[in-house]
Amino acid sequence: MRLLIISLALACAVAHADGQLRGASEVPARLGPDARAAIQRLIDSARVAGLPTAPLADKAAEGVLKGADDRRVLSAVQTLLHQLIDARDILGRTDDVSLLGATASALQAGVPVAELRRLAAASRGSMSAADSRALAGALVTLVDLVAKRVPPAAASASIEELLRRHATEEQFVVLRGEVERDILGGQSPEAALAARTRAQVKALDALSPSDRTLPRRPPPG
Amino acid sequence: MRDPRVHDDELPEPLDRAVSLIRDEPPLRAEWRAAVLAGLPTHEIAPPPTPRRQWSLSPFAAIAAGIVCALAGAGATLIAVNAHVLATVAPLVTPTAMASASLHGPSSVRFALVAPTAVHVSIVGDFNRWNPAALPLKRSADGRTWEIEVPLLPGRYTYAFVVDGRLARDPVAPEAASDDFGIANSVVLVKGS
Repeated sequence: MRLLIISLALACAVAHADGQLRGASEVPARLGPDARAAIQRLIDSARVAGLPTAPLADKAAEGVLKGADDRRVLSAVQTLLHQLIDARDILGRTDDVSLLGATASALQAGVPVAELRRLAAASRGSMSAADSRALAGALVTLVDLVAKRVPPAAASASIEELLRRHATEEQFVVLRGEVERDILGGQSPEAALAARTRAQVKALDALSPSDRTLPRRPPPG
Repeated sequence: MRDPRVHDDELPEPLDRAVSLIRDEPPLRAEWRAAVLAGLPTHEIAPPPTPRRQWSLSPFAAIAAGIVCALAGAGATLIAVNAHVLATVAPLVTPTAMASASLHGPSSVRFALVAPTAVHVSIVGDFNRWNPAALPLKRSADGRTWEIEVPLLPGRYTYAFVVDGRLARDPVAPEAASDDFGIANSVVLVKGS
């Protein structure tokens, strides 16, 4: 009986130590104790809110690698948590971490919340896995276009137009590549995007519903 | 019919005295009592036997249960640690080209960078906790390109290359949103098949 009790106590101690280790391992050890504690609280808050916690821990790890000081790392993690909260508000109830991350990234890029709501609405049908992937791909393309100095409003309008025509994830990849080539060829980013969007819209409109990867939905109302 | 037995209080006085004499213990002289006791054989009084311990579980079963519990604890710890490690590699953030992965498991995603003069190249990102020592790239046969295949679950990941100690974004991948730390990242979307 004594052995049994000792074994159980050992097992509990190991489990407790593991829990401590896991909690501690979420935040990079190179941060100071105050920053670590503050970031751990943010991670705990995200967990309680049902948000993914890994992006927050990764943001802290990224900051440490890039040599940012504790204050800057903490600020970046705080900002990301707020963006994830806003992203879930925009998308509605979703556990798609990629989509949440892409939406948070679009917010970080300066795309207004109202624009993102429109894009989510343009994409939303059944919000199937394919819809989610297409929207995530669209948002990644949107952020990349903004990084290439396309004005956010123009980039958002092009993406919305394609989402309404049920462009697929792959079609967004193609769009990004084409615009990049055009920019390298000397065109202005906005003009390149406008021209490539027109071409894709034309191609999508020419397709019969059965030719599309996703079936075309009837217009709302 | 009257009870034939006669009670003490009904005895005639002389008989009652005789009965009392018989009943009363005669006084013992101390010397006589000591002599009698000395003549008795002496015996060691053995202590009462200790009752045999009654186990609700046999000792061997208890030891075995202890070992099983310890192993179960260790197993649970390992599972928890593995789950944590997987969670850090699994569902995260942004893309290069779009890579395909199985819906139910990781698939290899190839990352490549043309850097002919580099001595050491590695990749850091959401998939390896931004650890520059975790995923070094290998120089390919042409001597100019560095490459690596990383098993990734479907998801969005941000990443960068570390070229001789300096961070560099993937020139052929989409750029992540303006970075909080002043150095841009790339993004890869790994889609489920």
